[in-house]
Amino acid sequence: MDLGLDRLSSAIADMGSLAQQSVIRAIEAYTKGERISSQALDNAKQLSILGEEIDELAVELLARFQPVATDLRYIKSCLEISYGFQRFGRYAYDIAQVLEMAGDLSSCDKTIIERLSHHVDTMILDSIQSFKTRDEKLARTLRDRDEEVDRTYLTVTRQLFHGGSTTVGCALASTLVLRYLERIADHACHIADSVIYIATGKKI
Amino acid sequence: MHEVSHGAWTKGHVSLDGEDMYAPDKDPVKVRRKIGLVFQKPNPFPTMSVYDNVAAGLRLSGVRNEKLLGTKVQENLIQAFLWEEDRDRLGESGASLSGGQQQRLCIARALAVEPQVVLMDEPCSALDPVATAKIEELISHLKEKYTVIVVTHNMQQAARISDVTGFLYYGRLIEYGPTRDIFENPSNELTERYISGKFG
Repeated sequence: MDLGLDRLSSAIADMGSLAQQSVIRAIEAYTKGERISSQALDNAKQLSILGEEIDELAVELLARFQPVATDLRYIKSCLEISYGFQRFGRYAYDIAQVLEMAGDLSSCDKTIIERLSHHVDTMILDSIQSFKTRDEKLARTLRDRDEEVDRTYLTVTRQLFHGGSTTVGCALASTLVLRYLERIADHACHIADSVIYIATGKKI
Repeated sequence: MHEVSHGAWTKGHVSLDGEDMYAPDKDPVKVRRKIGLVFQKPNPFPTMSVYDNVAAGLRLSGVRNEKLLGTKVQENLIQAFLWEEDRDRLGESGASLSGGQQQRLCIARALAVEPQVVLMDEPCSALDPVATAKIEELISHLKEKYTVIVVTHNMQQAARISDVTGFLYYGRLIEYGPTRDIFENPSNELTERYISGKFG
């Protein structure tokens, strides 16, 4: 059982690292005007394969060892966290696709998204870190930090709806990328919620 | 039965409806009428038929009416999920049944005297998984009508069949609560380690 749990932790760590890199790379591509959809798709597929491995391992552990208490909560959480990481990969690919469709965005104002992406990146990092070290205190900071993401997303989208000086292409790209960042931040929160569940047994 | 064992002693309290079951003035026979017992190893009376095993307790209580006895035997064999399988074997020795059937016969025998509580001590530990599943299904059915207390070392069995679980360790009640809480989020560290098999 302990060996199985170690394998599960290791697979989750691999997924977390790949998922985080995918998101960072997608945002970097947005700011630098790069096209990376093929690489983002590969990462998303790789995350999906790792997710399937985690599913199989978790089911095997459940069937063979009938885990209870912390072990049970840990395995259940691994399944949810694995899904969260797969979503990171998928949203990174969605951002990459937006860049493909939008073409040249060099004239767009990217300040807000750059700032927000840095904020979301630290949320992803801390959600992964809190899981690795089962740091309930760190996990509890995520929900508050998500509020800024939601606020920014709503404010910018509202402004764009009511017209502005930007072009349709810039507006559309900003809205979609912001939307994906908002979703990514939400999944980081779900991961942190799972950490709290593992530590306390309480569902957030 | 401890009172007939030389040097046996009891400690602590067991109360039923507010009455101390270990009180010196408590009549053990009356206690046994309230609490039906089922043991680890199926122990039907070997010289008695299936029918007589179930009727034994009632006869001891003075029931002589054969028609009533027949009805009660049938009712309790039905309750113990044994009637359909053994209705044609009522005259055969209880010891001729399979292990799982013998255990269900013992349950029928315990139920026949209409106890308030059925106490089962490791009722499935001598049985194969199929017979175990039948007993567990029976327990789940019986708990609608009786208070069933099962002593088990099988964590999964406790998790499967009970509504509330008590964790006893060296005679001390360490934790008691809804089964789901005990197995998903126990509040005591000792419980957590024991049910996870991380002891010692």
